[in-house]
Amino acid sequence: MDALAASFPGSEVSQDESLAREFEQRLADCPKLAYRVALGVLHNPTEAEDVAQEAMLRAYHNFYRLRDRERFRGWLVRVAFRLALDRIRAKNRRERYEHDAMRATLSAQPEVSAENLVASREFERQVAQALDALPEKLRMVMVLAAIEGYNTREVAELAGLPEGTVKSRLFLARKKLAESLQCLVKNTPVG
Amino acid sequence: MSCEKYSGWITDAALGELRAEPEPELLAHAMDCDRCREALIHAREVRECVDRGVEALVAGEPSPHFATNLRRRIAQESQSLRSPWRAWAPVIAGALALAAVLAIMVTQSPMRSLPNPSVASAVAANSALREAATASPASPQHAQRTEGKHGPGRTTQAPPRTTALPEIIVPKGQLSAAAQLSAAIVAGRVDVNQLLAAQHEYEKPLEVKLIEIPPMEIPALDDATEKPANSIPF
Repeated sequence: MDALAASFPGSEVSQDESLAREFEQRLADCPKLAYRVALGVLHNPTEAEDVAQEAMLRAYHNFYRLRDRERFRGWLVRVAFRLALDRIRAKNRRERYEHDAMRATLSAQPEVSAENLVASREFERQVAQALDALPEKLRMVMVLAAIEGYNTREVAELAGLPEGTVKSRLFLARKKLAESLQCLVKNTPVG
Repeated sequence: MSCEKYSGWITDAALGELRAEPEPELLAHAMDCDRCREALIHAREVRECVDRGVEALVAGEPSPHFATNLRRRIAQESQSLRSPWRAWAPVIAGALALAAVLAIMVTQSPMRSLPNPSVASAVAANSALREAATASPASPQHAQRTEGKHGPGRTTQAPPRTTALPEIIVPKGQLSAAAQLSAAIVAGRVDVNQLLAAQHEYEKPLEVKLIEIPPMEIPALDDATEKPANSIPF
């Protein structure tokens, strides 16, 4: 705590212990949020942790402007999402689409029940691939909605968007994902 | 067919986005129509799978060392910020290395800035000679200056110029000649002004002068009749 208080960037607030205390509070409850947002984009725990660390470090540097808790969380979500996207773009495309072959294999398999499908590792990969194929705007609201079951209003606050926009984006995202994944679920196609 | 009308509503209904009015109508139709009922059930299953699949993707916790690692990174950054020299050390080292390389290059090749060595030698020699002329006690200018400073009857020997000696670039093989010339100038045995005047005269461009050729004198015919003594008689 003392180390944090003594090292805050910003000339006037460098010794502000209350600032350090507030950041310690954010450090207690926000890394999980940043980590999950990054995980929703990267699908890799190690890389997600790196991105969450980087996002928290940036938040620390800008904390004198982000003392409001809700503002801080929204800012952190957006930075983590952007950093995760940057990282995934830097990765080799071959590595990113290595699941194509697996998808072909899975399509050839007999259909399984919804319960077993969700539990299967292959389905998780299929969902990840379908999620990656979504436009960034839709992907962000979809990931946020999946984290701890946030409702539309909470997602809107985190994403810094109007609630109606979030609602329509969520609908579009779910529809696209459903179109991508419906062939994996038993029974006849939708519609 | 009424099923076509409801098929467009099924996905919306499964995603929870169907308006309040058409939903009861769709549900009522699904009670009677097996195909639409199965499609609605399937759409709901898909939606559930999608939501649970995405939730499974984002489920996870950061490592227990997350906060510790973050604090360590912050401490490292603040330490580097506190000592600005540490942050600038690589830049300073690079600049010093560059300066050293440039200094070596300059000292190793003094003729680099003057591409023609003969010109460089001439310029350096001329400037050196002028320096020597102004510093030489034998020169009239120097004599006047010393007379003005110390009075008319008193002659002083100017101290040898040990500081700020002019650099003379001597062409190859002429070092001894240059040394002898320098010694003669310092001793006063050679008048530098005369030397410079001679050099200036030598450097002057040649003048083209017209030469007047007088017309040849032709002797008169009468004189030609006079036979020379050693002429051969026919």
